[in-house]
Amino acid sequence: MLKYILRRLLLLPLVVLGVTFLLFFLTQRLSPEMRASLYIKDPRQMGALEEVIAKYGLRDNLFKQYGRWLGRALSGDLGYSQSANMPVAKAIKEYLPATVQLALVTIVLVVFFGVWFGAISAVKKDKWQDHLARLISVGGFSLPIFVLGLLLLMLFYGKLGWFPPGGYSLSTDVAIHLPSFHHYTGFLLIDSLLNGNIKIFVDVLRHLFLPAFTLCLGSFALMVRVMRSSMLEELNKDYVRTARAKGLTERAVIYRHAGKNAIIPVITLAGIQFIRLLGGTVIVETIFDYPGIGRFGVTAAQQLDIAGIMGFSLMVAVLFVLGNLVSDILYTAIDPRIKLNE
Amino acid sequence: MNAREECVLQIQNLQVSVGSAAASTAVVRGLSYQLSKGKVLAVVGESGCGKTIHALSVLRILPPGAHITGGQILYHGKDILTLPAEELRQLRGQKIAMIFQDPMTSLNPIRTIGKQLTETILAHKKCSKLRAQATAIRLLKKVGIADARRRMKEYPFQFSGGQRQRIMIAMALCLKPDILIADEPTTALDVTIQAQILKLIKQLQTQSNMAAVFITHNLALVAEVADEVLVLYGGYCMEQAAAAELFKHPLHPYTQGLLASLVHLSGPKPTHLCAIEGYPPAPGMPKEGCPFAPRCPKATDKCHAQLPPLFTEGAHAVRCWLREESK
Repeated sequence: MLKYILRRLLLLPLVVLGVTFLLFFLTQRLSPEMRASLYIKDPRQMGALEEVIAKYGLRDNLFKQYGRWLGRALSGDLGYSQSANMPVAKAIKEYLPATVQLALVTIVLVVFFGVWFGAISAVKKDKWQDHLARLISVGGFSLPIFVLGLLLLMLFYGKLGWFPPGGYSLSTDVAIHLPSFHHYTGFLLIDSLLNGNIKIFVDVLRHLFLPAFTLCLGSFALMVRVMRSSMLEELNKDYVRTARAKGLTERAVIYRHAGKNAIIPVITLAGIQFIRLLGGTVIVETIFDYPGIGRFGVTAAQQLDIAGIMGFSLMVAVLFVLGNLVSDILYTAIDPRIKLNE
Repeated sequence: MNAREECVLQIQNLQVSVGSAAASTAVVRGLSYQLSKGKVLAVVGESGCGKTIHALSVLRILPPGAHITGGQILYHGKDILTLPAEELRQLRGQKIAMIFQDPMTSLNPIRTIGKQLTETILAHKKCSKLRAQATAIRLLKKVGIADARRRMKEYPFQFSGGQRQRIMIAMALCLKPDILIADEPTTALDVTIQAQILKLIKQLQTQSNMAAVFITHNLALVAEVADEVLVLYGGYCMEQAAAAELFKHPLHPYTQGLLASLVHLSGPKPTHLCAIEGYPPAPGMPKEGCPFAPRCPKATDKCHAQLPPLFTEGAHAVRCWLREESK
């Protein structure tokens, strides 16, 4: 087990190297002038363009430039993000927790409702419960996220005013920047509770709800389908018949036996979905103006902020490898037949 | 069958069909028998003759699509087919236990065998988890699992096929049921293990004076364990008699064919192996006449046209028109 984890961790640098090099190569398709222009705020200073190019060595060959970026990145310096107006490392530290928080709440909702609806759908196959669950899941799947997000925003904020966009309201913004507010974990949901401030907790949750719900509906459909087919398969297996023949209650047969076994593929899927959410909440964060890492990535890309783009992709690559690893480890915890070191 | 013996299970005219009401196929067509305490009944037949389906009907654990369309299954005089769900649940595993054909798939692969054993006990008995575990360990030892306490924590994939069937047996017996139904308990096992498992079941059955239904396609096996044999073909009972009687005087051409195709290891080497020509009928076929007629060397026109009734001669029952003529 430990050997397996170490081996997977050794793979991490390779993946990171591959991803960052590819991205760096792509950014080099822009002319040095275009890349230098980011540093010039005032059109009247355009004459300084050559100076900037020389200063940052933007005309050097690809490998030399990449080597320079990599060297600095290894020493912990990811450069300065012009689009966020702060060092890239600081920007990630500031924006990532909000996204992780959003992704976690989403994935918990997705797994909970996906497993629940999927299991009911399978147990009540071809009955109205099944049709309803499938209708909801197909509906959620067919609606593009940006349409659904805007509709929800219109209804719950525009008409009803229940769930505002953004990450938190102004009063929270003030409160969390007071020196008396301790940032223990960086996750506002947890920090607010640790600080004993329920008002902030509720406020953050209110802002989290709409983006989480929007993200949820897309993944939820897939989860219901996977759970349903997995559950149907398990319910037909011999051991379920044995469990019934032993005189277990129908509840125990369905949940303790078939249900638990049917969840295994859902766990893997949830792992993959979670990682996808970390790097892919871009649209939702933009729609709801949510201060997460996705919005940071989009802004960096729009403004050709190369340090920002590189930092963002580096982070996604690392998370991807780690996330897959966690999902594998979870797998062994639930299924004793799987041994990772074999 | 002796009337003084206590009858624990009585099946009367059981009918089971597969498929929707519009296009259903009868797979068990009017099966009746009685089972007394301490006796072993062997139900013998080829694949698809309805022997497993009849066994699943007794516990009402038929797969989706199969329905009991008629008859009665009486446990101590009470009809299982009309029992309410909770009473049925209490019957399963506690009064009537079942061992299945394939021990590889019949245990939950991701649950420790300890849990699978104790949950059976706890589903029926109000006792502490510790007591249930102690009972489970005792039973595992009884069925010949060494180091039982430690192995309680292991998963089915850590056991061999024979060991898994032993665990299934322990699970079936942990509540001291009145009736044990064993559905081809040795078919999926290695030949060398088959005899061991069979001996174990027979030994435990005798010890606790249980009644047992042995479902098998293996006639040689029947000779060793059964008191009575019922030969099933195409969903019908073709012949039923005490085991010794059936082996000595098989009356039905099908039973005679089955016995003739047995290979004996002792005695002179046979010059050729006997077989019954043709294939068993598709479920529900033929619609009329004796189901064995198409393969029967002695079949007459009457056999093809009309289903023979069960002719009884003492305790020996045969479904064959030839018996009518011999009377």
